[in-house]
Amino acid sequence: MNALTPIQRDRGLQRLRRLTFGATAGALVAVVGVSYVAAASYAGKSSSNASGTALNTTTSTISSSSSTTSSDTLQSTQAPSTGSSGSGTVTSGGS
Amino acid sequence: MMTVALETWKALGTWVHVVTTDADELGRATTAVHEVLEDVDTAYSRFRQDSELSRLNASPGRTVRVSPLLATAIDAAQRAALLTDGAVDPTIGHAIRLAGYDDDFSRLAVQGGPVNLRAWRVPGWQAIRFDRHSRIVLLPPGVELDLGSTGKALAADLAARAALAAAGAGGVLVSLGGDIATAGTPPSGGWRIHVAEDSREKPDGDGEVICLPAGGVATSSTTVRRWTRGAAVLHHIIDPQTSLPTTGPFRTVTVAAATCLDANIASTAAIVRGETAIDWLMSCGLPARLVENDGTIHYIGRWPDPSGVAA
Repeated sequence: MNALTPIQRDRGLQRLRRLTFGATAGALVAVVGVSYVAAASYAGKSSSNASGTALNTTTSTISSSSSTTSSDTLQSTQAPSTGSSGSGTVTSGGS
Repeated sequence: MMTVALETWKALGTWVHVVTTDADELGRATTAVHEVLEDVDTAYSRFRQDSELSRLNASPGRTVRVSPLLATAIDAAQRAALLTDGAVDPTIGHAIRLAGYDDDFSRLAVQGGPVNLRAWRVPGWQAIRFDRHSRIVLLPPGVELDLGSTGKALAADLAARAALAAAGAGGVLVSLGGDIATAGTPPSGGWRIHVAEDSREKPDGDGEVICLPAGGVATSSTTVRRWTRGAAVLHHIIDPQTSLPTTGPFRTVTVAAATCLDANIASTAAIVRGETAIDWLMSCGLPARLVENDGTIHYIGRWPDPSGVAA
């Protein structure tokens, strides 16, 4: 087997450096890509779930807290006063 | 001169009273209330097999798109559960049926054979999968809704608003079995409300009368809608923690709030909470009247105490 000339050896080393750089850059891109997918999934942006339905408990909680029927606390009113029975009196009691 | 007028009839298994400050508008207001109550009965009666709620309860595990009215009622029930830490929970449907309340109360046998009652926690309102924007609901298997408590109060609020819109002006009061909602301008001095343990008591009977400037009043009581199964005396207010009728120290609680719905949420939660009810009501800032099982009465917040001594 013939020995490599210095020029051939230098070309081989340069080729090896290019391959190493390419492999490293590719690995970095892959890590970033996988991380993005993982982060996106963890944040709940993925539409996939085991049951295949778009509904979930989180949605339920949000809808409750942003209810249009009233606010997120029980609302008070002007204080009632003592009165006496008369026309139009109705009874509040259990039923 | 305004003349207060009153109309009374029976619907949703209870007595309905409509009061208007203008007698000439009573007819229009009454018609509007009738329409709302018919819609409510169709949407979320637990005792009609053809109601939307019955069909929803019969569709476990399936997504169902419900009407705007049923969606509003479910939304209100979930809010009630959220604001009461689950003391008022719509997923008691199965529990209340097991306790024997499985039909309109007028058709329910007051006495019957023993039922197998055991303590278990209801599924909880968080189990309901509900998107109020799309109005799509999914009840997991084992989850059955009962919107009776908040549903009736919501109906009173909706009916009062509809009646006022139909009347065009003045003021309207709607009472559904003692859950009272008002809308518009009250009569001079406020709406007169006789506070009792049973809504069937005559308004001129013994007891306290309050004048309400606005908002709503609701009373929850374990002294009505009672039935016997074997040796057990049961009632309609279910503790979600045990699935059984409540056994706390208060038999009747009346609350005033900005809406009948909020008043009902608070009165029902107070019965369920029992020992902690007074502190909780005070933290809510709602005027309330509580009757202990032995008849002792407590006045909370700005509720008018006939003796002039507030709690």
